[in-house]
Amino acid sequence: MTADGAWRLPPRGVLLVAVLLIACAEIGGASMVRFKPELARWARDAMLARPAVHGLVGVRDVDERILDEALVKFDAGLRLFHLHAEGMGLVILATTSVATTLAGRGAGRLLIALLTAGGAGYPLGYLLWSALIPYRGIEEGKTIAEWVVWIPFGGATILALWWLAGLVAVRLARR
Amino acid sequence: MKRPPLAVVFVAVLLLALGETAGAAMSQLRAPLQRWAGARVDANPAAHGLAGSAEYDDEIRARTIFLTEAGLSFFHTHAEGLGLIVFFASTLVASAVGGRRTRGALYLPLGVGGLFPLGYLVYSAAVLELGRDAGVELAERWVLTALGSLAIVGLLGLATALAAGRWRA
Repeated sequence: MTADGAWRLPPRGVLLVAVLLIACAEIGGASMVRFKPELARWARDAMLARPAVHGLVGVRDVDERILDEALVKFDAGLRLFHLHAEGMGLVILATTSVATTLAGRGAGRLLIALLTAGGAGYPLGYLLWSALIPYRGIEEGKTIAEWVVWIPFGGATILALWWLAGLVAVRLARR
Repeated sequence: MKRPPLAVVFVAVLLLALGETAGAAMSQLRAPLQRWAGARVDANPAAHGLAGSAEYDDEIRARTIFLTEAGLSFFHTHAEGLGLIVFFASTLVASAVGGRRTRGALYLPLGVGGLFPLGYLVYSAAVLELGRDAGVELAERWVLTALGSLAIVGLLGLATALAAGRWRA
């Protein structure tokens, strides 16, 4: 901890990751608005090219309902990426500042790595899910995103946050 | 930037940890949570006005489970948001507001009021145990309104201190 009770800045790479994540979130939000029809058309075409994956039967009434549901989830994945990337960018800035200031050198490095990698990686799962929906379907896409991104990166963030909370609590108790 | 007291930093980090964990629990434990919530409704038939008619009771059960999930969802989003608000607002207090007593008077409502999202956990549990209306009223009156008002007082106090020119030297 600094002698004058000031925050120490996290390493420059961490700041860069956090700012880039927030920028990606902003770009994602803007792109969703600007390219909404193009994105929907692309996803719809990709789904129509894979009828078996989505259970399309060739009956318009049935297929349109299935396509609509998949497009809603596709859009939801993009929106959740936008929201989570903005939030996690700020969470990285706040929590790595605490870790840099209050944790020791060795544990601090691991903690900062977990907070940064977990926080930056987790929102990408929503992009992956959206991208997978047209090719693998809603549920299979979600399962892949869960195992490849959400569980490892989200797990790292949760572990690091409880570690950080414990560390601050111990320091508080010692005073 | 100056660092606020450890107790306030702890509240901020705890809220973020709770918010993240709640999000993961909602996603990974959705089915068991729904089963548990349904069982709690069945265990409190009078509070929920269950009538013994399967169709009617199923509708009440589904509506109550939806409210419980909504409470958890609000807890997830508000805990993440308030954790960041407590962190950045208290850092602003520490860095910009002059006068030790003034800073102390702002840390208290920010730190305690920041726990406002816990009201949504109370909301989820109270809806199951007391029924929809009584549960919502309990959470709103005793936790959400009380702590939320405190957080608002803290933020308005910070704005007032800054507007009044009580800058830290």
